[in-house]
Amino acid sequence: MSKVLNSKAPSGPIEDRWKNYKFQMKLVNPANKTKFNIIVVGTGLAGASAASTLAELGYNVKSFCIQDTPRRAHSIAAQGGINAAKNYPNDGDSTYRLFYDTVKGGDFRSRESNVYRLAEVSNNIIDQCVSQGVPFAREYGGTLANRSFGGAQVSRTFYAKGQTGQQLLLGAYSSMMRQVALKRIELFERREMLDLVKVDGAARGITVRNLVTGEIESHAADAVLLCTGGYGNVFYLSTNAMNSNVTASWRCHKKGAYFANPCYTQIHPTCIPVSGDYQSKLTLMSESLRNDGRVWVPKKVGDKRAPVDIPEDERDYYLERVYPSFGNLAPRDVSSRQAKFRVDEGRGVGATGRAVYLDFASAIAKKGEAAIKDKYGNLFAMYEKITNENPYKTPMRIFPAVHYTMGGLWVDYNLESSIPGLHVLGEANFSDHGANRLGASALMQGLADGYFVIPFTLGHYLASNKLAKVDTNHDAFKASKLECSDHLTKMLNIKGKQSVDSFHKKLGHIMWEQVGMSRDKDGLNKALDEIPKLREEFWNDVRVTGENNFKNAELEKAGRVADFLELGELMAKDALNREESCGGHFREEHQTDENEAKRNDEEYCYVSAWERNEGDKPTWVENKEPLEFEYVKLANRSYK
Amino acid sequence: MSYLSSTIGRKQVVGIAGLGLCLFVLTHMLGNLLVFVSPQAYNEYGHALTSNPLIYIAEAGLIAIFLGHIILALCLSMKNKAARPVKYAVNAEGEKSTSFVTKTMKHQGIVILVFVVWHLYTFKFGSFAPEQFEVQYGDVVMRDLYRLMVEVFANPMYVAWYVFAVFILGYHLSHGFSSAIKTLGFSHPKYDDKLTKLGWLYSALVTLGFASQPIYVFLSNQ
Amino acid sequence: MAGTGGKNINLKLKVWKQNGPNDKGQFLNYEAKNISTEMSFLEMLDVMNEDLINQGENPVEFDHDCREGICGTCSLVINGQAHGPDRGTTTCQLHMRRFKDGDTIAIEPFRAKAFPVIKDLVVDRSAFDRVIQSGGYVSTNAGNAPDANSILIGKEVADEAFNAAACIGCGACVAACKNASASLFVSAKISHLALLPQGAAEREKRARNMVAQMDEEAFGACTNTGACSAACPKEISLENIALMNRDFAKGSAKNRS
Repeated sequence: MSKVLNSKAPSGPIEDRWKNYKFQMKLVNPANKTKFNIIVVGTGLAGASAASTLAELGYNVKSFCIQDTPRRAHSIAAQGGINAAKNYPNDGDSTYRLFYDTVKGGDFRSRESNVYRLAEVSNNIIDQCVSQGVPFAREYGGTLANRSFGGAQVSRTFYAKGQTGQQLLLGAYSSMMRQVALKRIELFERREMLDLVKVDGAARGITVRNLVTGEIESHAADAVLLCTGGYGNVFYLSTNAMNSNVTASWRCHKKGAYFANPCYTQIHPTCIPVSGDYQSKLTLMSESLRNDGRVWVPKKVGDKRAPVDIPEDERDYYLERVYPSFGNLAPRDVSSRQAKFRVDEGRGVGATGRAVYLDFASAIAKKGEAAIKDKYGNLFAMYEKITNENPYKTPMRIFPAVHYTMGGLWVDYNLESSIPGLHVLGEANFSDHGANRLGASALMQGLADGYFVIPFTLGHYLASNKLAKVDTNHDAFKASKLECSDHLTKMLNIKGKQSVDSFHKKLGHIMWEQVGMSRDKDGLNKALDEIPKLREEFWNDVRVTGENNFKNAELEKAGRVADFLELGELMAKDALNREESCGGHFREEHQTDENEAKRNDEEYCYVSAWERNEGDKPTWVENKEPLEFEYVKLANRSYK
Repeated sequence: MSYLSSTIGRKQVVGIAGLGLCLFVLTHMLGNLLVFVSPQAYNEYGHALTSNPLIYIAEAGLIAIFLGHIILALCLSMKNKAARPVKYAVNAEGEKSTSFVTKTMKHQGIVILVFVVWHLYTFKFGSFAPEQFEVQYGDVVMRDLYRLMVEVFANPMYVAWYVFAVFILGYHLSHGFSSAIKTLGFSHPKYDDKLTKLGWLYSALVTLGFASQPIYVFLSNQ
Repeated sequence: MAGTGGKNINLKLKVWKQNGPNDKGQFLNYEAKNISTEMSFLEMLDVMNEDLINQGENPVEFDHDCREGICGTCSLVINGQAHGPDRGTTTCQLHMRRFKDGDTIAIEPFRAKAFPVIKDLVVDRSAFDRVIQSGGYVSTNAGNAPDANSILIGKEVADEAFNAAACIGCGACVAACKNASASLFVSAKISHLALLPQGAAEREKRARNMVAQMDEEAFGACTNTGACSAACPKEISLENIALMNRDFAKGSAKNRS
């Protein structure tokens, strides 16, 4: 039975909602905080900021990560920057404008109350990070520097060269380490969450595998925070790290947490193109490059001349042509689709023809090579290492690649999922970006959730619910442990012929072809036919080498691919179900005469929150959370 | 943790002691150059030093510095060795390799220690048959260090060993000098290069100054 | 000129295999065939592992994650060089165009007492976390920060602090140092925070505590060889080590206990 979900978002004037809500929430008295144990899974921006902040407040925190140290979570790779409505450049920014841009950028598929709260706390994030010693870029006078990002006409992005994510994460990590030293956080590295343990319907712990010894461990708590990032690796090739995966989220989904808007996938327009079959991942070139880089393709179809030999009047700077007011800073979804159109027209460049140019020649001529190097030096160096081409001399070749997933576990205004006590933060939840995320907003959201939202809403949960005392001797923990080891043994015992990676690649191919940048009914039906078959083949013919009780990368990957094989099906199902185009979800059947996404607000102005059955054979029911737009009026999104 | 049990504290003591020894080595070398002035100047310089009662304090200080330098450097060296129990099968070459001089500081130190002991035995305590090596200038009878030196350096093997040892000493100082200064906390892009070059210049001067004496004496005897 | 498709080469690999921390470990020989020069070094290892799996053998374990040179997970000593022959490069960014057909490549783990081998080429670098725990932070809680622009920091100082803060914590400095010293890693964090006004209050105490923890973890001492900086993927400067030495001495002199 399909349900209508209550977001618990407050009403009233939007600028007062969070303030009033904070006041209404119950508090946990400082002396009582030490009596609560909180599990935080994941140590990216959301996880690290949540763990350190909760520990600072006095809670007992257990923090888990799959990496060898919390500092390596994939937030580290975010390049360009973090948005905040400081209006330091005096160019007309405000909390309301950031809110407006984000709702519009998300193509009217996000929750207004959440987005306003995000914009509201954005300034506190910058203050907090600066106080931790994050070395943001500065002007000569010592004030903070800003740059522009896609989808905005103001400069509100704070940055630390092209390594902003790294610096923000190291800030949060250092706060976390301080709490580890104070014994407020207990750290569990190289642990993979395999299951959520529920007692009396509420999340009361997790089951993890120690990735070094293979031991299955149980951990109990009063609440569980899931901060485990996005699921872009379902496409095999993406800008995500190799170990990024959906398993923690998916296992919660299997235990009853709804998965919202899985089809909203962000394809980032500026990545280094694929060079061969062996390709293991794709590398992003920060969107900030579009501040100074101009995107173009030759006007002539099949023009194989070197870029320098193509004269100005034979180049098509198509973003500037199609979107004169935003130009090269059109939002990601729009820019990606434009690149795809050019390639489909046969005007792609490079050996494969699956790329467009990002050219810095005019910026270098105007500002000098040194200024460009100062802003983007590390990105240019990274490009040169991978391609062996010097981007100061010849334009970069770029092509869209899967980068971020706006969908994720459904959460209410408290960031609580449909399972009581399970809170989901950062990219792992679905809440703030709607159908498309604007650049420099992911870092903002992860840190907003961790530093400034969850400390309040979690306290409210703990103060409002009488939780029975539960430890790992409870039957639910034993049952979960057994289930997890059976699952691992089952995979090891298949002893088939095909490697885990080969399944992952096949799945990725289906996903990219049918559930990628542009989708249609036939393709999605094909995916819905192929993915379950591939999943069955996996469970009959996968070869997982090695043993359980050792470090075993193949076994780790196998569990993750098994979950991707279910997620892929749900994504196709969601994409087929949503008969409209919006943001990162583009259905060929639904486009304007100018090939822009055409929403269907009459029928689809809601969040799809999918509920899975508990068995091995997945089936789903769609629950709906209606979306209301009181402030930003539903309108056609235009960047012209 | 106390300063002297920390690696950096120990390194800094080794460095300060090393710089002290650098100063000593330089003055010693300059004193030796009196050989080019006259035997009398040479002997009178030696006599002036040894007849001053402060010499005992200076010598005790020198021994303390020397031992401090050696003992703490050995402690660090043992800690360093223990920090990598399993060695690499292949050693780096090219840009990422470690220079030979830094890799062999300990070995150079051992050569220098042997040399110093032998040197003291030969020139300070080893004046066998002292009455044969006395000389009188005016009223003052003093040790004829000059003659001792001339006789010792008549042996080409000794000259070769001496030259080799002072070369090793210079090699040791070529890294030691600038390294000590960095260990004490001084490094800046503005002067790092100059500091390194000063270290080389200093080492070259010390080596040439010391080596010139036996070679000169040996060749003049021929 | 690349981007136009590379050529294929064949390589002989000498790879360290070690079944857990207590195993003695040994080199095993593998062949890597038809390796495109456009591949990254880790993609070459992927191909080797895929072949091993297809032959029913256990693949070689190695650490890796972001594959774009920023997470600091990948390691490896390649022909004696931490992260391979190129400067300012992590193993994941090293490309096979750097090697010739028929080359033999020796692949070892980062070796240090403080970095015990977990399996094959995977080592435990948690010593670095403990060093950061001993003081690699500014003691500030969420919620009590003043407006970001109330702290003015000149561009040059901010850039210098950034250069030190760019450390990815990979451990190549330890791997490359003949003494397995962690001085570059530790000093980079000390410098980053010492250079900024936010970190100034705890500056000398931080240096003392972090050095004490570094010594505790069985890293060796710095002898200013510069091998660390040469191997550092982010080319962190040796200047930081001098700053650490200075702050440590000052802190020790002022310490009252």
